[in-house]
Amino acid sequence: MKRKIRIAIPSKGRLKQPSIQVLQRAGVNILEEERAYVSKTSDARFEAIFARAFDIPIYVHYGTVDLGITGHDLILERKADVHELLDLRFGKCQLVVAAPENSKICSINDIPAVTRVATEYPNLSRKYFEGLGKQVEILGVRGTSELAPKLGLAQIIVDVSSSGETLRKNSLKVIATILDSTCRLACNKIAYRTFENEINEFLGRLWQGGPK
Amino acid sequence: MFKFQDFDGKILALRAEMTAPVARIATTRMTTVPEPIRLFYVSNVFRYSQSYVERGREFWQAGVELIGCNTSEADGEILSLLISSLRKVGLKEVRVDVGHASLLKDLLKATALDEEKRDTLQDLLAYRDEARLEKFMDQNNFPSKLREAFLQLSCCRRLGEVSSISLDSLEYAKADDPLRTLLDIKDVLADYGVENLVFFDFSLTRKIEYYTGIVFEASVPNLGLPLGGGGRYDDFIEKFGKLKLPATGFALEIEKCLQALTAQGFQIPEKAKAKILVSSKFRNAAIKAVSILRDVGVVALLDVTKNDRKKTVEYAKLAGIDYVVFVGSPLEKPATVYDLRSGVSMNVMIETFLQRVGGES
Repeated sequence: MKRKIRIAIPSKGRLKQPSIQVLQRAGVNILEEERAYVSKTSDARFEAIFARAFDIPIYVHYGTVDLGITGHDLILERKADVHELLDLRFGKCQLVVAAPENSKICSINDIPAVTRVATEYPNLSRKYFEGLGKQVEILGVRGTSELAPKLGLAQIIVDVSSSGETLRKNSLKVIATILDSTCRLACNKIAYRTFENEINEFLGRLWQGGPK
Repeated sequence: MFKFQDFDGKILALRAEMTAPVARIATTRMTTVPEPIRLFYVSNVFRYSQSYVERGREFWQAGVELIGCNTSEADGEILSLLISSLRKVGLKEVRVDVGHASLLKDLLKATALDEEKRDTLQDLLAYRDEARLEKFMDQNNFPSKLREAFLQLSCCRRLGEVSSISLDSLEYAKADDPLRTLLDIKDVLADYGVENLVFFDFSLTRKIEYYTGIVFEASVPNLGLPLGGGGRYDDFIEKFGKLKLPATGFALEIEKCLQALTAQGFQIPEKAKAKILVSSKFRNAAIKAVSILRDVGVVALLDVTKNDRKKTVEYAKLAGIDYVVFVGSPLEKPATVYDLRSGVSMNVMIETFLQRVGGES
């Protein structure tokens, strides 16, 4: 008998509930959500793993899980070589460059040389600024990069924004958009070969219950 | 790649893979060797790894190159050798997925997209996101024939299935050659009896700049990363010399193969040889005994200290030695053998002991 297909779901945050609902629509109900990192599901062929959305691309890349629900931005940031089988259309957000509202920096062109950028997305940020030929200093931070300009840690930040609410609260303005992102169904490339029939059938059910 | 400077400022690099060194050898030192040339290597290579699982920077690869021939038979030989190599090391459910670099390059050219959009298209193909692929092709006004070709190729899983695809009506019809090649290779693989283990995979779009023909990777269901791969690179070797030589080959990642074997429940047999320390007041006898022991294939060490028996045994315990043999002179006298695993010591003739440890190893 083939082993179970493992699907990783964000364990917290704004992506968690929509992810669980997407699975439900495809007839895969999480049975032990509250108790375990690994949960049985109502479909005996699948088991669910709860993990940080930020780590899910890595899990999928290495085949620790076969499928994973996570953001396109995170897949790119973690440089995960995976299939993105489906755009799940929720978790819409943009990766943006933001500066304090009262700052003189109003566009990318205003960014002075050797500006410090605080971000949870060092890879995408580096690529973006290199592409523009801008010399900046990237500071990798974990969470709440919005605080960095206030504390004088950095002049600007790169972070995701869905409604712009958090940025506004912290008196920050968007000066450029790097990337549009949504949640994706990521798949390990070798798992796709091994479980192609099961995965395609699962995809079919996702479509029917569908985000379309 | 790891790069650093030589004393005179020249840039040096550690090899990141073996194909370039092999190409250099083939064009500089093997110019008189008749083609095709078949070479193999087992070697260490050095790469930055962004892996969070393995922190190492040195990797071992085993690979082959078939140089100087561009037939489907050459490609078929390499593919079937890849499969038989993996089977030989004990792996089960091996499969190889094959794409075609020129096929993809020709089709990308036929789209007449700018470079940035071509990259996007290449990513979409690698992602296997059909919905976004269709949307992208609609937005960029793909001619229906070309659109059809991309979608059909994405769905193909068997080499034989590409026969149903016709690129004739496309303006850029050269792409028909790669399809013909894939069918020819399928026939070669059938003769090797491995046709059913080789699949078509249009999503193999990475690293196509370097390859000119088939590209492939090998995998087993138990490991989420490819075990290795390769392809045809007919334009590469000429960069190292005057010779333009077509070539094809593969490299296997030895660490990945070991991981896959472990994942498949394979026990790597431990054949530890017995380790013996020979000690004696009579140096001449001890040296003879060491020599005899080594001849039966065990690891024998000569005690070069002047420690007493107690200290010698203590040392042996700490050094992971299996037996200490205190020999007398002449060697024909019974020796005292101290077995460190059981803690028992006994007097035996050296021949008897030889038979015992000789059989163990």
